[in-house]
Amino acid sequence: MSGYAECPGSRMVDFTKKDAPEEAGGRVASQLRQWPIQLHLVSPQAPYYKGADVLLAADCVPFAMGNFHTDALKGKALAIACPKLDGGQDLYLAKIKGWIDDAKISTLTVMIMQVPCCRGLLGTALAAARQARRKIPIRCVVLGLQGDVLQEEWVEA
Amino acid sequence: METLLRTPVKELIGRHPAAGLILDAFGIGCVPCSVGTCLLGDIVEIHGLSPEDESALLSRIAAVVSPGRVVESPETGAGRRRSTSRGNRSPAVKRLVDEHTLIKRFIAIVPDLIERLDVESARGRQMIVDGVDFVRTFADRCHHAKEEEILFSFLDPDLDILKAMLDDHRRGRARVKDLLDALERRDRDGAAASLAGYATILTDHIRKEDDILYPWVDRILSTHQIGEIYARFDEADERFAGMRANYEAFVVTLEAQFSPRGAEVSQ
Repeated sequence: MSGYAECPGSRMVDFTKKDAPEEAGGRVASQLRQWPIQLHLVSPQAPYYKGADVLLAADCVPFAMGNFHTDALKGKALAIACPKLDGGQDLYLAKIKGWIDDAKISTLTVMIMQVPCCRGLLGTALAAARQARRKIPIRCVVLGLQGDVLQEEWVEA
Repeated sequence: METLLRTPVKELIGRHPAAGLILDAFGIGCVPCSVGTCLLGDIVEIHGLSPEDESALLSRIAAVVSPGRVVESPETGAGRRRSTSRGNRSPAVKRLVDEHTLIKRFIAIVPDLIERLDVESARGRQMIVDGVDFVRTFADRCHHAKEEEILFSFLDPDLDILKAMLDDHRRGRARVKDLLDALERRDRDGAAASLAGYATILTDHIRKEDDILYPWVDRILSTHQIGEIYARFDEADERFAGMRANYEAFVVTLEAQFSPRGAEVSQ
């Protein structure tokens, strides 16, 4: 048995018996308006972050949420990260702080999965917000494993 | 049912007083409202009832308005809202609620202020002038101005609930002017009545905003709009930099001097 076997973040779950209905209407337009998107690769000073509503999504979020582009990404600048597997979390903290103080972002939405390890991404965002000089509204959205919104609330740093 | 939902609440309660009692039973206190032009459908939507409560409320009112007739259940606002509910206060709204907390602490002292109201001595008059400064600068120029110049500009100006809130602001300002006029005349009873009137208006006004308007605002505004409002609140607060601490100190001094009472406004 793998060391991860009992961790809710990596426990095996099979959803194939539940056929998700397909939406009618064909191709869904991408709402992505920038590149790159991985938090290690982005610059907090990039023009698309200036004064923006920023979405910081855990890596698994867009795969779990069927309507991610229309319901979560639309109108926002994006970065993705994994709080469990990515190294250099201190760099993540510095970049988020850079968004708040230098890019003067308007709001930060942190979207994470319900698994406990994902909470680390919110923790990093809140730690950065505490260190930042500016204060901004921060929202946290928690998704279930099949993309349903379990919790959506404003959080204080 | 659509006709019922488009009925102004004052007209509804005027024709069917039992409807006012039903609204009251569901925590919707429209009966004493000074405006009363809000449509029933808007009122029900704005109070954020559960789908079950909303349906029960509308069915009971429909039974009063059209006894014996079977009225179809409308799609409830609660049903439409469920997918967008955010649960807690946004930082922009929370800032307004925090300001209410300080105003409520001042209002809690008003009964004791009235009891010891002194319009004859310079010291007594100065205390009233200081209270008026708190009300005019902190409660009105800092807090109400944020609502009127910023928050309300994100909402439909024709909304009746906004008209009711603006009417409360105007009535509060009128009581403050009456208070100063009474002070000028050394009219203790007049000053006491104006002060008590202000406290009553503001207590009711704050309750309506905290319990009804603000939760609704948080449900309908987007994250982008909340960010914009928050940034504009920051700019507005810069004009009052340092004053918040002074007014908090003023209230703390009053609280030490008088014992706050009125549990309903002190929380």
